[in-house]
Amino acid sequence: MFTALGVAIGVAAVVAVLTVANAGEKRIYSEIDKYGPNMMITPAINDLDLKLGDLRLGSLAVGNNYIAQEKVSEVRQITDGAIREALGIQDQEDIATIAPKLYVDATVNGTSVMVVGFDPQQERAIKSWWDISRGRYPEQQDEALLGDRASSALSVGAGDRIGINGEGLTVVGVLQETGSQDDYQVFAPLGTVQKAFEKEGLISSIDIRALCSACPVESIADSINKSIPGVRAVAVQQIAESEMNLVMKVNRFMLVLAAITLVVGAFAVVSTMMSSVHERTKDIGIMKAVGASRGQIVRMFVYEAVAVGFLGGILGYVSGTLLSYSLGPLIFDGLAMSYAPQYLLPALGLAIAVAIVASVYPAFRASQVRVAESLRAL
Amino acid sequence: MLEIKNVSKTYGNGSSSVGALRNISLQIDDGDFVAITGPSGSGKSTLLSVIGGLEKVSAGEVILDGRRIDNMSEKELVEIRRKKVAYVFQQYHLIPSLTALENVLLPLTFGGLDVGGKKRAATMLQEVGLEKRAKHKPGQLSGGEQQRVAIARALVNGCSLILADEPTGNVDQKTGVDILRLFRKANEDGHTIIMVTHSPEIARRGKRIVTLRDGEIVDQLDQDGCERPSGKEGFIP
Repeated sequence: MFTALGVAIGVAAVVAVLTVANAGEKRIYSEIDKYGPNMMITPAINDLDLKLGDLRLGSLAVGNNYIAQEKVSEVRQITDGAIREALGIQDQEDIATIAPKLYVDATVNGTSVMVVGFDPQQERAIKSWWDISRGRYPEQQDEALLGDRASSALSVGAGDRIGINGEGLTVVGVLQETGSQDDYQVFAPLGTVQKAFEKEGLISSIDIRALCSACPVESIADSINKSIPGVRAVAVQQIAESEMNLVMKVNRFMLVLAAITLVVGAFAVVSTMMSSVHERTKDIGIMKAVGASRGQIVRMFVYEAVAVGFLGGILGYVSGTLLSYSLGPLIFDGLAMSYAPQYLLPALGLAIAVAIVASVYPAFRASQVRVAESLRAL
Repeated sequence: MLEIKNVSKTYGNGSSSVGALRNISLQIDDGDFVAITGPSGSGKSTLLSVIGGLEKVSAGEVILDGRRIDNMSEKELVEIRRKKVAYVFQQYHLIPSLTALENVLLPLTFGGLDVGGKKRAATMLQEVGLEKRAKHKPGQLSGGEQQRVAIARALVNGCSLILADEPTGNVDQKTGVDILRLFRKANEDGHTIIMVTHSPEIARRGKRIVTLRDGEIVDQLDQDGCERPSGKEGFIP
């Protein structure tokens, strides 16, 4: 029983560390998500050089300045599909954050500003740094959000009404200053802006946030470029590269952590099993004296190791999981732990295998010792 | 029948070697009750270990029922221990985690437990007067009771030769008498008993007394009964 406890402690350590690390890994990924979009999709525009002999006549932009809105769902299919495939995910929920936008120059209250038609939910998810300084985030089709500078330039605050191209909107909130172009813009729901400027079904660009350790953003961008004509998908290099770097480091760290805990846990199991066998060197001598063969003694210790490993493995798995539930939130403040059933079988297997190796070898050695010697070793 | 021919046993080697037994020859017939006695360090326990195949001899032969056991393989010795030779030790050597009954059953467990085995073990415990203590662990038994369990364990297999090393060394005198009585009964039932003791009192209970000193037999005394009236002390050093 005491031996099973020793095995349990070894297994508990491994399970606790791995469960905490597993949850921590997810937390780190969600932190990375705050980096903002890591891929942008713009209309595919080709500049053709017009030449007449050696004479340059300037360039001609060929193609559309807009993307058809129905391409958003195609983009989602490709992006989510790539992530699902790479991570082996089955469920059909949306994975990537995909925020379409329509930019229009407009005059509001006699001042020229950039009006942005956006998808409030997706935009909020992608711009995790957005804070509302006054008012609230827009929810209805006739509600608008103003950048900090736009609000002062137009002398409009939360609660005021504005008109864009004849469409009446209520300003429900003002963003805190971000230091980006967002400060100068007026945000209104995409459908409303499309209607006001008669650009139904059109968008200017799509910001995408897609992350998985196994599928680089570049490859997702490549497959979008190959399968959807008329758009150009580009990975935002400064973000994509640093986050891939981070993901790789986290992965490597996890591997090292797992390896170290495995070695330490296995060592705990080995030492308890070995000392338990050593304690019974005398018993082995007695059993030999009353007619036990070497095979019988070794077999007995194998059965015992399986039982102790099984008991200790289950005990260790349960206590390790409990331990991780209490330790995890302390390490990654407030992190919700998730029960990790995938560790149950490996934990049991590890405990039993290590227990067998660690007890059978000393039992075999002890069974070779002559009876007189093992009985004298009191 | 057990024959010991010119057996020597040395521990260590070279100049530091110690001779524990020196050229000992001895013949023990079936049904005999031999007490081996002598001062400590005289080699009596070593002789017992050699007889039971617990230790190898350095020279000479040990022949049990016509077969040499001094050069037997471990596998053959297992058979000998299951069928012919059983031990009783001064330290009892019971397995502490098993009950009295389970300890008695142990030789049968390894030798292949037959249907009657459990019953025989219970009967054995009854014969040594411990049927009420069958479920007790060795830690809950007195020294004398533990030794009686050990004797039941030695007898349960029906081994013809019982080797006892100071079986009364750890118990008080009255308990020692009880234990000797058990050996005597076993002897009457046909078991051959070889018992090592440093006490002349105890040795006198044997049919035959072999006295060792410095690894050599210095005296052999046949007694024509089991118990003798006092007055023979002069023969026993």
